[in-house]
Amino acid sequence: MTSQTIIDPPEDGHFRNGKASNGASPTTLSIHLTINGRDHALDIEPRVTLLDALRERLHLTGTKKGCDQGQCGACTVHVEGERVLACLTLAAQVEGRSITTIEGLADEDGTLHAVQAAFLEQDAFQCGYCTPGQIMSAVACIREGHAGSDEEIREYMAGNLCRCGAYPHIVAAVRQAARELRS
Amino acid sequence: MTVHDMKHAGSDSARLEAVGGRLSRVDGPAKITGAAHYAFEQQLEGLTHAVLVGATIAAGKVTGIDTRAAETAPGVLAVLTPDTIMELNSASDWFGRQPSEETYCPLVREVTFSGQHVAAVVAETFEQAVAAAALVKVSYDEMPAIVDLSDGSDGIPVDAMTKEWGDAEAAFAEAPVRVCAAYNTPREFQAAMEPHGLIARWEGDQLTIWEPSQWLDGMARTYAEWFGVPFQNVRLVSPYIGGGFGSKALALAHSAVAAAAAKMLGRPVKLVLNRPQNFTSYGGRAATRQTVAIGADKAGRIQSIVHRGVNETAVDGMWVEPLGSVTSIMYATPNFSSKQNVVRVNTVVPGAKRAPGENPSAFGIECAIDELAHELGIDPLEMRLINYAEQDPHAKKAWSTRQLREAFAAGAEAFGWAKRSREPRSMRDGHQLIGWGVAAGTYPVRRAYGEAVVKLLADGSVEVESSSIDMGQGTYTILAQTAAETLGVPVEKVSVRLGDSHFARAGVTGGSRLAGVMTGAVYKAAGQALDELIGLALSDPRSPFHGLQANTLQVKGGRIASPRGDGPEFSIAELMRALGREKIEAKGDTVPASFTPEQRYNNYTTIAMALPHTEGDYSRHSWCAHFVEVRVDEDFGTVRVSRVVSALDSGRLYNPKLAESQWKGGIIMGIGQALLEEGIVDRRHGRIVNGNLADYMLPTNADIPDIRTISVGIPDPHSSALGGKGVGELGIVGVAPAIANAVFHATGKRVRDLPITLEKLI
Repeated sequence: MTSQTIIDPPEDGHFRNGKASNGASPTTLSIHLTINGRDHALDIEPRVTLLDALRERLHLTGTKKGCDQGQCGACTVHVEGERVLACLTLAAQVEGRSITTIEGLADEDGTLHAVQAAFLEQDAFQCGYCTPGQIMSAVACIREGHAGSDEEIREYMAGNLCRCGAYPHIVAAVRQAARELRS
Repeated sequence: MTVHDMKHAGSDSARLEAVGGRLSRVDGPAKITGAAHYAFEQQLEGLTHAVLVGATIAAGKVTGIDTRAAETAPGVLAVLTPDTIMELNSASDWFGRQPSEETYCPLVREVTFSGQHVAAVVAETFEQAVAAAALVKVSYDEMPAIVDLSDGSDGIPVDAMTKEWGDAEAAFAEAPVRVCAAYNTPREFQAAMEPHGLIARWEGDQLTIWEPSQWLDGMARTYAEWFGVPFQNVRLVSPYIGGGFGSKALALAHSAVAAAAAKMLGRPVKLVLNRPQNFTSYGGRAATRQTVAIGADKAGRIQSIVHRGVNETAVDGMWVEPLGSVTSIMYATPNFSSKQNVVRVNTVVPGAKRAPGENPSAFGIECAIDELAHELGIDPLEMRLINYAEQDPHAKKAWSTRQLREAFAAGAEAFGWAKRSREPRSMRDGHQLIGWGVAAGTYPVRRAYGEAVVKLLADGSVEVESSSIDMGQGTYTILAQTAAETLGVPVEKVSVRLGDSHFARAGVTGGSRLAGVMTGAVYKAAGQALDELIGLALSDPRSPFHGLQANTLQVKGGRIASPRGDGPEFSIAELMRALGREKIEAKGDTVPASFTPEQRYNNYTTIAMALPHTEGDYSRHSWCAHFVEVRVDEDFGTVRVSRVVSALDSGRLYNPKLAESQWKGGIIMGIGQALLEEGIVDRRHGRIVNGNLADYMLPTNADIPDIRTISVGIPDPHSSALGGKGVGELGIVGVAPAIANAVFHATGKRVRDLPITLEKLI
């Protein structure tokens, strides 16, 4: 691979930003990301987005690139529990913050999150490409308290495009998961 | 000969798993956990990244490309231009017709549309390639461009599209009641959420392509021809496809650039089109213009239909959007004439978008009949029943099945159509004008031949392999159901492997043909595997059933026994162990035995071998009726679809849960087409100005109401082995006219140019 390395955090806890590595550009940063509870250290250029860091460097390809312009929502992840577009976030911006991706949503033992299970049951996807973003948005939508009615779900899930047209089933899945998570 | 009972025990799970059961997607768990790796998400050693440079003019010559700054930018490995990219052979087209030119260069010196690929940069990282691509300076000698249909001449007649019977013009002139109007649809885009792209890797003269694909074997053929390597040297891998809608069936110029770059560099290359490039690197639905003239008697019986259509095509490529396809079959008429022209404009060659032809065709005829109904004061639903076609009016053949009357009845009942007040602007809720509209849709049953491998393994599990694909239609799931039911094993014992061109071959996934083709092939292969298992169980001396004098055995729930239930019973794994077999493998196909190897090859790699839907004694189509309620703000002209009920005849459904999802997806894409979607061309530069997902507006969740779908289909034995007809294309056909008709009912204003935006209503 090109510049991908996963190393342990340095013992002194300080990351040597600005240090050249791998013979690459002198602007390479050494940064530290906490993703799904695991620590990852990366040597990357400052212009690398969180989305490309996840997909190209860390091989966490569950987070999808649909538009790379903040328009489609396919790259939605959680930063400190809030939904964020990974394509509009530089990796360096979220150093040291807790990032959750679709790969980290189910329990360690593989038990699905209520939203994931509801998506499967309601057939809330077809091609599956927007689905990780939809699910991450849905988890946050419920947590934000915006799943009180179908109308509210539609409005607060409107930032995640689905070209297969699974919207009615997404609403049903979010409604079902919200009810289960409340009880 | 053995006979096997295909019916499961009547438990709930068996009903769910059998063909026709509402099994959840078997590929679902991978998709909801992020574990599903789509084609260009494969991780390869030494991967490089390519980024394209597109033309900023729509017509003219490239006079120079200054690559110096890009070449010296950090991480750059190569800058490819028309002068430096390797020469490729021209490839045959999707009919298998030989090309007119000998060589092919996917980077151009002569520009025929804005965004056309002029150069490409390959670098160690994506970021480096993006930055360096911005440093490539291209100079042009710009020529005037034809930007859209309104610039062109009348165009070029496409005689093959002409359909005529009776004397349509004379009968129209004499008809006591006449309507005639023009209906326009704009350039539209597929806009799948997964962009187009690929990873190409050469190992010697072996090429592996990881690319989202609706047609592995057809695309592999193109790559093989481009690079002059044998077909079997090209392996196309496409495990999941993030939406296609017609756009991902062909290897395109950007595909050639990536594969050539990989060969030139000796390293794998990843090239993914950015979102704006997805609006210019392959064609969306061509813009269309139609005039529909209907003459009728005073009772509303159609005497004549005269139809003229035009679609845009490219300066250097041909696309015909068959605009008379629904016009010619939906209603009975003694006189008919349909003709079509194409007009060349400076655009990428238009392509297939969901229900190409049928979709715009239905917009014309289904609006026109609504206008006729209004003219005569007849209910629009009644109007359609008065002119119901009892046979195919064009082919003059019986329908294989046509549950359209049933669709009208079921949809009207569920929608409450009887409560509709006839006059426009007669229903309102405060400041919202309410309109109810109806329209019908149809799509032909496209049939082809396929093959599949079914393996029974020593542990009793089953593998199904096919080079067909799943882009969300549910291929993985329905093929697992078909194999499980045919073999008599639980569905969790079946694993389906798709999306690899080295598997048993399949033709294109398009025109809603795959489910019918592949369930037939898997049914046959699984039947052969079962026959072999039962044959061995009865005849092999090592078998516990040997010498029982049973005529046959039956497999249920993965256990094999005499159908009388009076003998021993073993699991398939136990039997395989007793037989000393590692696996039983059967390759089944539906290809005629008379086919030569070349015909077989052409069957999978071209569309030339597909069977006409009017072959033999029947005309085969799926059908639907859409009932739509819109709410139009009286002051602002904003249109909201507030309710949809659609009744659809797709024959037998292999999995209603997944079929309903596809139907609804088509309906939602139709709502986008009716109210939102329009590629806008800047007339100065011939450039798509809204080539992104915010400005080319797709429906969002907030735009879509509850949608109810009702299946009115019955098994159609003339259409497929298991009785299904097409599902995926059908749902969109008729949605836009149903909405336009509802908007007319709400407002009294007839909008004949899609999309129906507020400025057309105020």
